[in-house]
Amino acid sequence: MRKLFAILLALAMLLSMTSFAIAEEPITVTVFRGDPGDQPTDDNKIYKMIEEEFGIKFEIEFLAGDLDETLGTKIAGEDYPDLFDGGNSAEKLINAGALIDLLPYISEEKTPNLYNHIKDLLPQLVNEDGELFIIPNYGINYNAQIQMACNGPAFFIQKQVLAWDNYPTIKTLDQYFDLIERFIAANPTNKDGVPYTGFAILCEDWRHFCLINPVQHLMGRPNDGEVVINVNSGNWETEVFITKDYAKPYYKKLNEEFKKGLISRDTFVMNYDQYIAALSSGTILGMFDQTWDFGSATAALETAGMYENTFCALPLVYDEHYGYGVIEEQYLNGAVPNKDRGFGISVNCEYPERMINLFENLLSDRWQKILQWGIEGEDYYVENGRMLMTQEQYNNRNDASWKMRNTAATIWESSPKKQGTQDDGNAWAPADQSENYFNLMSDYDKAFLSAYGYLKPADFFNAPCELAPYGEAWQIDKTPIQLDYNDFNAIQDKWLPIIIMSADDAEFEANWAAFQAEIAPCATVYEEYMQEEVLKLVEQATK
Amino acid sequence: MIGAANKNVQLHPKRKMGFFKTLGRQYQLALMSVPMLLYVFLFNYFPMWGWLVSFEKFKPKQGALNSKWVGLENFEWLFGRADFINAIRNTLAMSVINLIFGTLSSILLAVLLNEVRSRFFKRTVQTVTYLPHFLSMVIVVGMAQNMFSADGTINNLLISAGIISPENKIFWLGEKTLFWPLVGVINIWKEVGWNSIIYISTMTSIDPTLYEAASIDGAGRFRRILHVTLPGIKSTFVVLLIMNIGHLMEAGFEIQYLMENALVKEYSQTIDVFSLRYGISSGEYGIATASGMFKSIVAIFLLFGANFIAKKLDEDTLI
Repeated sequence: MRKLFAILLALAMLLSMTSFAIAEEPITVTVFRGDPGDQPTDDNKIYKMIEEEFGIKFEIEFLAGDLDETLGTKIAGEDYPDLFDGGNSAEKLINAGALIDLLPYISEEKTPNLYNHIKDLLPQLVNEDGELFIIPNYGINYNAQIQMACNGPAFFIQKQVLAWDNYPTIKTLDQYFDLIERFIAANPTNKDGVPYTGFAILCEDWRHFCLINPVQHLMGRPNDGEVVINVNSGNWETEVFITKDYAKPYYKKLNEEFKKGLISRDTFVMNYDQYIAALSSGTILGMFDQTWDFGSATAALETAGMYENTFCALPLVYDEHYGYGVIEEQYLNGAVPNKDRGFGISVNCEYPERMINLFENLLSDRWQKILQWGIEGEDYYVENGRMLMTQEQYNNRNDASWKMRNTAATIWESSPKKQGTQDDGNAWAPADQSENYFNLMSDYDKAFLSAYGYLKPADFFNAPCELAPYGEAWQIDKTPIQLDYNDFNAIQDKWLPIIIMSADDAEFEANWAAFQAEIAPCATVYEEYMQEEVLKLVEQATK
Repeated sequence: MIGAANKNVQLHPKRKMGFFKTLGRQYQLALMSVPMLLYVFLFNYFPMWGWLVSFEKFKPKQGALNSKWVGLENFEWLFGRADFINAIRNTLAMSVINLIFGTLSSILLAVLLNEVRSRFFKRTVQTVTYLPHFLSMVIVVGMAQNMFSADGTINNLLISAGIISPENKIFWLGEKTLFWPLVGVINIWKEVGWNSIIYISTMTSIDPTLYEAASIDGAGRFRRILHVTLPGIKSTFVVLLIMNIGHLMEAGFEIQYLMENALVKEYSQTIDVFSLRYGISSGEYGIATASGMFKSIVAIFLLFGANFIAKKLDEDTLI
């Protein structure tokens, strides 16, 4: 009897242990991030909290080298991590069947946070088969959207150039280059004797948007990639702009600036690292780019105290004399859910439920505060209901090595998150909290903005327009016409620098004509494809 | 007659027995070679079944056995592409440049070093010239890009020497016709010391009495080089040439990949870079495999061709 009892007891213990182990078994989750980054430290306080609460540890692999090649290799070998962020090429993962459909796991009862997070946007987010593989990492706003600065495309100019000319209002392409020309004529070199370069154009690989994207903005449209879409007619006519007459004046202007020596030939053979190094040295006066693309250069300049060499974003359009009338700029767009960007769960993941559960819990108000703001009393303080930071706490947020020890940025960045405003009026992101933004800005920037009578960098821009029903057209997946799209890009990469470097007008015309002849076939394929896809998206969104 | 019949009777069974007998006697040696054979089979022969993919519209999701069979479509597509034809041209051109100038420069260096009397000087030069071999191509290209940029060392040197005017700086990195010479120069700088080692060691094994005899016959330094040193390294030269011709389709990958930009792509893209672009980056695995397979087949023909010619020249052969 005693023996039987002992056996039963042992069995019961074993059973309870196994059932306990299934629920809370500590697991290590493999993670891939489609961009370079730094490993968090082992004693990172936020990851420790996640491990204690969910029993989940992360083993993170960052991108080293080329994204498409890395993903291509992983796909060919079906070597998938549990949480898979394919960065800018996540479509490849979806098309290769590397990710699982998340919708079966999401419901109002089981995962209310995730359900409410995406329910209004669902028609836009799912594919044609009604599947959702990735919950957007950015662009889903709660309450009011906050826009302190331009985070996307713009023409940039060093703040000292504007200050030198007594803070002029620069609205058009000609004004912009005229100012840079005058500045360089008056100040050919910086105080160390290094010559200034007027305008840089990054042409490397997928970052060639610095070369090929500006025309649409000069015509008064937000970022749709390589096409301009008529949003007013109701027919959503989609056209490739590089083949149109209105693209030519921009490159003609660049050609003129090249001949005047404002643009160096080296800019066309620069890679990204060299570009960032050049910007960080403070000798590049202007460029067209997107704010996030040169964040490390801005950080380097600020760390070095070279605030006058940091950049101000300007929304430029064509002047009236170009013959397209008076164009009203529209650089800022409504919040765009970053479709198909962020973590997907791979087909190799053994515990998809726990991953969904993790996302669900991290999306709760409590965890969002921890992930975005940190721990109250340590990383921020609350005064009269407002979440505030001291200068030191704010600076910590920009300190890379502090972040490795005290934030879970790597996981947070790719996970679904709350943006905009909290229910109590505080901003979800510390940088969006207006008190923090102004009080903790550098003195140089405060004086710079005050000279314009502005409160935030976004005041240089018109208010964001309403997001078109198709989102932003650059998000459209091009893999079905991959080979034509490759050609479309390669021909622009090859010809546009040659066009800009033309020696005289006759050569410019000849180069432009040759370029148009070569690009026409693949541009047509691309245009037709994009037109179809835009119409599909509009139909889906208005269904 | 008797002798011949005898031979036939004896040789046949003896040979058969002999193989196994020899094998039995040398089983240790045979065992030792098993890992190598396995290695070659596993990594060189076994992966060849993947060539199947070059006849398919390959989708990783469906796998090599279930993807759509398209026959020679991938090859047709390839040879209809100007950039693939360019890639073949670039591969061969850069290989030939490397082969000719790489070999000539290393033989020249070896001959010069062989004539140097001071051992210290000889050793120093040898070490300095072969050290770059151990540098990663990433570093070498980074240095080259700095030196050859518009305001880089090379242009500044040329300007101060009065060869070019400051307005006409040479656009080394963006001028497509300069890409091949640039690759040639960088490769020579990196490999000349390393490649000359084998020639130097061959030269040290030349019998010194030959030099003495030549001197007595009145040969000066140049005559000695011409009639003793160079003939002495001829067989090494031929063996290396055959091996290098087999590798003609390998113009290198790293240097072209790293130095490439949109302006020079027409002259920089080699078959390897092309395969990577289409195969891995664009997910057109079938096309990439087809281009890789084409490369391998041409390489096999080149190798046998070179070996055949060497046989005709009555020199050492490899196969």
